[in-house]
Amino acid sequence: MKRVGLFLLPLGLFLFIVVFLLQGLFSDPREIESSLLEQPVPEFRLPDVMDASIEYGPEVFEGELTLLNVWGTWCVTCAIELPFLTELRQQGVRIVGLYYEQNMDPDFGGKSLPQIRADIDRTLSQLGNPYVFNIFDESRDTSMDFGVTGAPETFLIDRQGKVRLHHVGDLNERVWQAKFLPLYQELSQ
Amino acid sequence: MLAELGHFSLVLALLMAILLAIYPMWGAQRGQVLMMQTAKPLTVGLFLFTLFAYLCLTQSFLDNDFSIAYVAHNSNSLLPWYYQITAVWGGHEGSFLLWVLIFAAWAVAVAMFSGGIPQDILARVLAIMGMVGVGFYLYILLASNPFERLLPFYPVDGRDLNPLLQDFGMIIHPPLLYMGYVGFAVVFAFAIAALVAGRLDSTWARWSRPWTLAAWVFLTLGIALGSWWAYKELGWGGWWFWDPVENASFMPWLVGTALLHSLAVTEKRKAFKSWTVLLAIAAFSLSLLGTFLVRSGVLVSVHSFASDPTRGLFILGLLVLVIGASLLLYALRAPQLRSVGRHELLSRETMLIGNNILLCSATLVVLMGTLLPLVHKELGLGSISIGAPFFDEMFVYLIVPFVLLMVMGPLSRWKNQPVAALRNQMLAGLGLSVVAVVLLNMGRDGLSYMAVLGMALSVWIAIATVQEIRQRLSASKQGLAGLTSLTPSHWGMVMGHLGFAAMIMGIAMVTSYSVERDVRMTPGDSIELQGYEFRFLGVEALQGPNYSGHVAKLDVYEDGRKVSHLEAQKRFYTVQRNIMTEAAVDPGFTRDLYVALGEQLNNGDWALRVYVKPYIRWIWGGAALMAIGGLLSMSDKRYRMAKLAKVREHKVSAAGEAA
Amino acid sequence: MIRLLWVMTLLLPLYASAFEEVYGFNNEQQRQLFKELTEELRCPKCQNQNIADSDALVAQDLKRKVYQLVLEGKDKTQVIDYMRVRYGDFVYYQPPINFATLFLWLVPVVFIIGSVGMVVWRRRNAATELDTALIAKAEKLLNNDKTQENNP
Repeated sequence: MKRVGLFLLPLGLFLFIVVFLLQGLFSDPREIESSLLEQPVPEFRLPDVMDASIEYGPEVFEGELTLLNVWGTWCVTCAIELPFLTELRQQGVRIVGLYYEQNMDPDFGGKSLPQIRADIDRTLSQLGNPYVFNIFDESRDTSMDFGVTGAPETFLIDRQGKVRLHHVGDLNERVWQAKFLPLYQELSQ
Repeated sequence: MLAELGHFSLVLALLMAILLAIYPMWGAQRGQVLMMQTAKPLTVGLFLFTLFAYLCLTQSFLDNDFSIAYVAHNSNSLLPWYYQITAVWGGHEGSFLLWVLIFAAWAVAVAMFSGGIPQDILARVLAIMGMVGVGFYLYILLASNPFERLLPFYPVDGRDLNPLLQDFGMIIHPPLLYMGYVGFAVVFAFAIAALVAGRLDSTWARWSRPWTLAAWVFLTLGIALGSWWAYKELGWGGWWFWDPVENASFMPWLVGTALLHSLAVTEKRKAFKSWTVLLAIAAFSLSLLGTFLVRSGVLVSVHSFASDPTRGLFILGLLVLVIGASLLLYALRAPQLRSVGRHELLSRETMLIGNNILLCSATLVVLMGTLLPLVHKELGLGSISIGAPFFDEMFVYLIVPFVLLMVMGPLSRWKNQPVAALRNQMLAGLGLSVVAVVLLNMGRDGLSYMAVLGMALSVWIAIATVQEIRQRLSASKQGLAGLTSLTPSHWGMVMGHLGFAAMIMGIAMVTSYSVERDVRMTPGDSIELQGYEFRFLGVEALQGPNYSGHVAKLDVYEDGRKVSHLEAQKRFYTVQRNIMTEAAVDPGFTRDLYVALGEQLNNGDWALRVYVKPYIRWIWGGAALMAIGGLLSMSDKRYRMAKLAKVREHKVSAAGEAA
Repeated sequence: MIRLLWVMTLLLPLYASAFEEVYGFNNEQQRQLFKELTEELRCPKCQNQNIADSDALVAQDLKRKVYQLVLEGKDKTQVIDYMRVRYGDFVYYQPPINFATLFLWLVPVVFIIGSVGMVVWRRRNAATELDTALIAKAEKLLNNDKTQENNP
């Protein structure tokens, strides 16, 4: 009978693999946990997208529960989530924009700053403006420090300036209810 | 109308599969000839109904019938007709239809070309094909029907075929690969039939071997072609990425290679039976696992089809049934198998065991590397990536002992090999290969250890192969005339091993000595790389049937002499709004010149990627040699059926004893 | 951004060997390091591509950052750690070593040791298990089959 045990080994190995394959079917392999979770936001000094004389740093997150939303006017999905974000703002959620410009490639030049500002004005007046202000990440270096892979992405940052939640893709009613709201309510108390 | 006919035909094929799964097996267990005889006509029916369904779908593509969802998603009226035919397997549903068509074709081949096999065994083999088939056909009808209609609202024109797939390499890559995957179903069916019948003997190995070879040849070609296609079409100049989907095709290949070798032992020496049968089950199981990985979306890959958890669940269920049941049967039956062949520690048997152990651990490396990111994440440990650095390192460790065994194996005799003779041969071979490597590397600066190691291993295999032939000739005492007395299957081994040597050479050279530059150029610029001067002539606009784009023209000079003209394209496919790089390649025996066109920069310059890749053709050439080796082995007389029948007669006693 | 213009004098008069490398380097080691890093770092947004092969915006950003760091004289581990802090272990194609990933190396090694052990153990036991008469019978059968013996 000892020999049978050995011959059962392949079956055991196979069933072990199946368990994980089954679990894998119900999770998205492209969803990657941010390494910033539970960490304070990285250091940065960046200007306001509309007014270069105003500068922001990590202190803008202190004392207030904030959603940091990475977006750009060129990004199609961002345009889809703007109305919902505006709705959130009306409910009293503080949303700060991190403006992530695609065309400002340091190598190639691209859109000029006045053009970008005009684009932002037009987009926000059409689709709603959820932002308290927009931080302008021209070189995308700060985005890299945040581990941003594209737009749109959203971070929930607590009153101590720590990242508590990270979402890649558009923020809609469903995602808000399921992923953000429980933690948001807990933190806002 | 065609779609409905096709659909109905598939239902009939399912019916055939169900009958095939029941009657012949029943007949074989009861010893009723009439029921066993139904196997052949049912198999033919299965094939014909599937073929008809397949043709219906193809005709729908040619008719631009966009009321069929699958056609609308994967074709377009502007698509050239030859791509409309190949677009049939461009998406999930159609490629699975091709899969079952090939499956049915293999079943028919077994029914037709197995005249020498006892009727009850053949009936069992086909019945097992039928059982597996029931699962496939149910899947295609219930979860992935290619004939589904988009009624009443259907699009005026289709969404077009994925531009990546609009290429010659892609036309034949999937069918070849499927031929390999599904071909292992035949080997699997033989193994299960033998387990069920309790007759696992060397005749079983002899029947299985040509089918294994056939599947293995197709898989080898399919993988090589995929690699060549990626090289040409993806514009990165790479030939292997350790992508989960590539790994999924590599695992059955590794196990299939192990199986080929262990079947040789089982056939000739009646040893390793339980091991060989496990490999036969594993080869097909890994093919199925690969199918699951590609089609379920559990892993992130460049190749995966759009995923759908219900489909994934269905295939997983199928996997559990087919693999689980066969491994259970194995666990119950295998312990009763006895191997009778005795052998000493130093013998060809031992070398082949070693070969099998290494090939299987290579499979485990690939399996772990492919699935562990999934396990890691499900355990809540976060996402990790396992790629080239890990696999490359592990394979370097594995290849050294593997080559050592590959050198020793053919030089060793069955049962018992005297130490001194083998040692002398090996020392001579090693000495010669070191000399050869020194000569080959003279005058090259910037030596890479890996390249030197790879070259030495490659040359050593080649020398050992020659030594083995010489040894055989001196044994036959006929001089060179003795060459003709070597069997085709022997030449198959020689070709296979030489092909492997060529492949190692290619891999070592490309990995270590490729050079590349990312450059910006204006027309009139030139760049010098490895003694080649690439002159950028300029970029012109390009207009294709369903795309537009740019083509960059370059002339390549060596020592002031023009050696090549290259045209690298960048295409924009209008319907799918997709940009595709079509690299320009000047192939050569010792080097490829490769140029890919990037984007245009603001000042009018163009970004270009220029590569010189030494010996890259040797990788695919090596694969082709291996495939030729496989074909030679298949052509061996001893697998011909008339002969088989004769062999069987005086084997009956042996078979009874082994069971 | 520092750009290096590579101008070489060339004998051929018609085509000036003037081209600009997208990423130019001071020496061959840096070029090699950059190549290695961009091939071993994974694009976090793409399906399954390294940053050298990907045209995605984030891959280009990472490539540029790697370039900067290499020019600053950072070594391989420093650059990889820089990326890991931001994008996690996912960004590097060599998995970290921990309890779960240990099996990557352990399983193949255990398999090799185990199966070699099995082969030796069974060889030692098999001889006693079978009685000699059966072996003699088997050998006789095998000898009948000798015609094809030397073929693989």
